[in-house]
Amino acid sequence: MANPGTSDFSITSPVVGLVGNPNSGKSSLFNLLTGLRQRVGNFPGVTVEKKSGVMRIENLPPVEIIDFPGAYSCYPTSLDERLVVQELTNPKGDLFPDAIVYVADVTKLDKHLLLFTQLRDLDLPMILVLNMADLIEEEGLQVDVTGLSRRLGVPVVAVSARANKGVSELKKAIADLLRNPQEFRPEEPFYEPGVLARDVLGDLRQELPARNDYHALLLAHHASWLKHVPEKTRHKVQEARVKNGFHSLRAQVEETMERYDTFEPIVRDTVRRAKNKSSFSERVDDILTHRVFGPMIFVLIMLLLFQALFAWTGWPMEGIEWFFETLGNTVRENLSEGWFTDLLVDGIIAGLGGVLVFVPQIAALFLFITILEEVGYMARAAYLFDSLMQRFGLNGRSVVALISGHACAIPAIMSTRTIANWKERLLTIMVTPLTSCSARIPVYVILISFAVPKGTFFGFGYQGLAFAGLYFLGIISAMLSALIFKLVLKSRERSFLMLEMPDYRTPVWRNVGITVWQKVKSFIMEAGKIILLISIVLWGLSTYGPSGAMEEARAQVQKTVEEQGLSDDDAADLLASEQLEASYAGHVGKFIEPVIQPLGYDWKIGIALFTSFAAREVFVGTMATIYSIGSADDELRIRDRMAEEINPRTGEQVYNPATAWSLLVFYVFAMMCMSTLAVTKRETGGWKWPVIQFTFMTALAYVSAMVVYQVLS
Amino acid sequence: MPFPRSTAASHFVAGMSGTIERFTNENLACKLLDIGVRPGSRLRLVRKGPFGGSWYVKIDQQCLALRKQELACILIK
Ligand SMILES: Nc1nc2c(ncn2[C@@H]2O[C@H](COP(=O)(O)OP(=O)(O)OP(=O)(O)O)[C@@H](O)[C@H]2O)c(=O)[nH]1
Ligand SMILES: [Mg+2]
Repeated sequence: MANPGTSDFSITSPVVGLVGNPNSGKSSLFNLLTGLRQRVGNFPGVTVEKKSGVMRIENLPPVEIIDFPGAYSCYPTSLDERLVVQELTNPKGDLFPDAIVYVADVTKLDKHLLLFTQLRDLDLPMILVLNMADLIEEEGLQVDVTGLSRRLGVPVVAVSARANKGVSELKKAIADLLRNPQEFRPEEPFYEPGVLARDVLGDLRQELPARNDYHALLLAHHASWLKHVPEKTRHKVQEARVKNGFHSLRAQVEETMERYDTFEPIVRDTVRRAKNKSSFSERVDDILTHRVFGPMIFVLIMLLLFQALFAWTGWPMEGIEWFFETLGNTVRENLSEGWFTDLLVDGIIAGLGGVLVFVPQIAALFLFITILEEVGYMARAAYLFDSLMQRFGLNGRSVVALISGHACAIPAIMSTRTIANWKERLLTIMVTPLTSCSARIPVYVILISFAVPKGTFFGFGYQGLAFAGLYFLGIISAMLSALIFKLVLKSRERSFLMLEMPDYRTPVWRNVGITVWQKVKSFIMEAGKIILLISIVLWGLSTYGPSGAMEEARAQVQKTVEEQGLSDDDAADLLASEQLEASYAGHVGKFIEPVIQPLGYDWKIGIALFTSFAAREVFVGTMATIYSIGSADDELRIRDRMAEEINPRTGEQVYNPATAWSLLVFYVFAMMCMSTLAVTKRETGGWKWPVIQFTFMTALAYVSAMVVYQVLS
Repeated sequence: MPFPRSTAASHFVAGMSGTIERFTNENLACKLLDIGVRPGSRLRLVRKGPFGGSWYVKIDQQCLALRKQELACILIK
């Protein structure tokens, strides 16, 4: 965007990029500088997308700050890392920074300076942030900040993003650098392209739109995938590489070794560390990553999660239920009787209440998973299960997606960007939606009450066991599906684990609280919007029908009532159900009824299935709307309304255990979330995989539900 | 316990340590170098993972999870 040498920001606001190794605290710092709330977590690769925010400094236009994903070097191996190289080698791009704030973990400076020296050789104005300054004393480090600044030729600021120390100094340093970007131009590069690269550079230097030799070298290395390199240049690069026998990997090794040799003495002179003893994290890992205890503790942690979901959420749920019942009653008492009141009370309030009752459980789930991420346990889980995952065609890192998929599949699918191997990543994306996300909780709880009797078995409630069983079913089916995909898809690409184990940290409770609150808020907003929308649309569709059909139904009922001398209540019920059947919604339900009959569903359930394909949390709201219409009684709880539903043909309860189990299994497997499909499409770059995902999950749901119903009924 | 002369790190058991001499696979070498593993680093096999296949390794100050195939490309002296 700007070239070095211009400090004129009158036209555009300056762009500052936060770059550094994974898990060095970039996002934490970003939040401090911009006041935004970007996700933070103790795992390499939390941020997988760039995110921008605005920082205000006196006497400067607003500064745009970009939080980049973490990268180890300018030679990326996964998608999130590629983004960094992509943007920093493209001076014409919108995101090309006017200055870089390079965030390094001061306790790992001997490793984190590799990328620093590479970016420095691109001749970008830079500031080095020594983050985690709060750990300097704890770890017995001595850091010579001025010495570092002199030797590296850039301003150096010690910061603690956790304790909010040194941020004002950093802001001042950023402002100074933006005002005078020329001040810290590098005098000489850390690395001069060596023998392996010289020939190819000689051929290409003039051809490539490069700022300097090192920029040209990076373009020569990465031309094949960099988006901003035009096709023609790509060909030229390829020709030159072949002609000069340029060996990209070998050149990279040579470069990296030379860089280490250059900056290692600098670190040795400026950072002194006390005798290293086995750290706290290692001692904890003796137990948590133990061959035998490790997996056992993992299972225990997961059991604790279910316990948390059930045992600790009882009273807030009752509170919410009470609130919505009171609200519904109050509204009904104060509004005049009529269709609008019915829509409001029976459809919208009951439908919203039916889902929002589960907010405490959903919050508990998010809380638990956020704490696991913040503490640093996810990397251990990835290590523990890597070998097992490999057998199913997945990667240790898939565990992170599979765990967080229990909260919501969308961020889980995004997190797969850190998996470098395409096949492993694809498989993880495909099977993650099979894990039971939080939107399934309302459906599970309501249906389980029909499928499983109350009662206990050795102290465990039957219903609680069934609930855990459904989660287990989700996980097992995810793994088995991965296995099938593994056998179908062929790939020779190498796969890696190579995962850093970050030190354990006490979570920053403020961050945890904010993350959970944001997730819950967005769940309420999203669910609220779609339930509102579907309730209204559905109400319309079930009140109106094709011309003539509704009148005919009414006349028919009139005749039956007169013939059989039905009571007023019965007549009203009959009228309601005949009208629903004649309506547009009824037509939709009737249309799909033949397909779902073998699964044990009637056409009313068909309507609920149909709307659930937009988003599964709509199920409860749809039930509320369908079963509210006409009926004279004022049952507010959806469960009770469903329990009263009788099949007119057999005279039995519609929601008998066989149907309820069949529905449960259907909801475990079916792909009922448009947003997840949209994310799959974006992450896999086309319609092919989301279509396959939708088809296989829905087919699996259909077949399994049919088997379950036929066996149980 | 020291490693015998120049042997792949995958041949040894938990508790052994040594100094990295070189890497035998360029692709892996690049990735290992990027995360700070390089010739001259001290490597110690801390423990084997459950289900076989992966190792908890300490290299210099840093704890890493590496697969057996990855260790096989690291020569220790
Ligand atoms: N002790 C300490 N911990 C910090 C500090 N800054 C960040 N952390 C912690 O370091 C971990 C990583 O922080 P993030 O901000 O997510 O790091 P990141 O660089 O954005 O990581 P990626 O997005 O994965 O590349 C979190 O657990 C933070 O709480 C600090 O100054 N001191
Ligand atoms: Mg981040």
